[in-house]
Amino acid sequence: MPLGTLDRTPPPFFRQGPSALTRLAVFSLLAVLLMVADSRYQLTRPLRASIAMALYPLQWLVLQPVRLVRHGGDYFESLSAAQAALDASEKKLNLQSVRAGQVEQLSIENTRLRELLALRARLGSSGQAAQVIYDAADPYTRKVVIDQGAVNGVALGSPVLDESGVLGQVTRVYPLVSEVTLVTDRDQAIPVLNTRTGARGLAFGDPASRGGGLELRFMAANADVLPGDLLTTSGVDGVYPAGLPVARIAKVERQGNTAFAQISCQALAQVSGVEHVLVLAPLATVLAPPPEPEARPSGSRKGGRK
Amino acid sequence: MIMRPGQQLLLPAKPLFIWSTLVTALGLSMLQNIGLWGRAAWAPDCLALVLVFWTVHQPQRVGMASAFAFGLLIDVHQGAILGQHGLAYTVMSYLAIALQRRLLWFTVPAQALQVLPLFLVSHAIELGVRMAAGGRFPGLPLLLAPLLESLLWPVVSVLLLLPQRRAPDRDAHRPL
Repeated sequence: MPLGTLDRTPPPFFRQGPSALTRLAVFSLLAVLLMVADSRYQLTRPLRASIAMALYPLQWLVLQPVRLVRHGGDYFESLSAAQAALDASEKKLNLQSVRAGQVEQLSIENTRLRELLALRARLGSSGQAAQVIYDAADPYTRKVVIDQGAVNGVALGSPVLDESGVLGQVTRVYPLVSEVTLVTDRDQAIPVLNTRTGARGLAFGDPASRGGGLELRFMAANADVLPGDLLTTSGVDGVYPAGLPVARIAKVERQGNTAFAQISCQALAQVSGVEHVLVLAPLATVLAPPPEPEARPSGSRKGGRK
Repeated sequence: MIMRPGQQLLLPAKPLFIWSTLVTALGLSMLQNIGLWGRAAWAPDCLALVLVFWTVHQPQRVGMASAFAFGLLIDVHQGAILGQHGLAYTVMSYLAIALQRRLLWFTVPAQALQVLPLFLVSHAIELGVRMAAGGRFPGLPLLLAPLLESLLWPVVSVLLLLPQRRAPDRDAHRPL
């Protein structure tokens, strides 16, 4: 029997390190600590960023065959389909160029009128194009990962759009990639304006509904809301610029026993399978900081009631 | 070492092979997400499967520390709460260590049935953590994941033991 057939190092009988139960306790405690630090206090951002950086080569490697297959499919796509797509996009461009010309004139008019009325100027925001690499695998949330990170100047909280509307917001920035929480995520809220009536409201993600759904909450049961109304960003939050299309109202249910109407909306952005997106700089960086609250008299007790 | 009657005497496992299969499993998990079916609750967790396999077969090399570390990696990749998979994999690895002396006495299909509770516990912990953190229930397809993982156990058992099943003395006339 040649050498190397059997594992010849004797097993360490007496020195096996801490017992399994101890190790279980230590690692479980560590995991719970990390979870609390991550979800309650956002303390783990540097750790997360460094792990993401270490994982990036492997992700890149996995992405290569996926890209090859996708682009290979494009290569064999028929010529007529490509020409049809080109025609459609040219038509769309023509339609939009008319509007774009009007917008130029309108924005000049708007600035002059605002100057006349001594109002604050409307804020412009610069954008950068990005590509969605994949849907984040976590089935409990609705997130996608884009290929622009802190290195490319993506800031935390930036709004993300696709060609038809608001897609979501950047919620985690890694050095080379970023995570975007979609508007249909349960924890994502976006302030909206009903373009028909001018009423402001808050739309929350509603992933329970089929496709990309949102829910317009806290609207009175007798509020003037009709199916088909367009909701755009209202711009009061300091994150999203005003006037970006968000959703269209799909269904309004008014029940007698509640004070609010149940309004479900359909997101205008393509919340599943989107490929190219635009990342805007968050308005909060452009806006002046809010005024400091007035200093309390020093005699009052901390958190005390009067 | 006491062995099951008829069990083949295996070559020692190479540490490099163990770690490279773990990294490959991590890559396969990513591929499932990036290339194949995106955000799917039912997708089997290859990394958990390979971790349990090596914890059962090589408990001296792969244990709770590596399970915890790989759990953190998958957390960052998925964008989940940091430590969620860390906790699930640690508990799963502890159960695997508790099981490993007994498990290898069974045939491979019986082993697959015995590791099913491990995967169930791991997914239940993830579900519990996310429900506590205010997540949304992803639906009943979640139950499919542990089933698929334990169905893949025989496949993994054959594939990962192949390098250890080679003949100790190579013979050109007798390749197997």
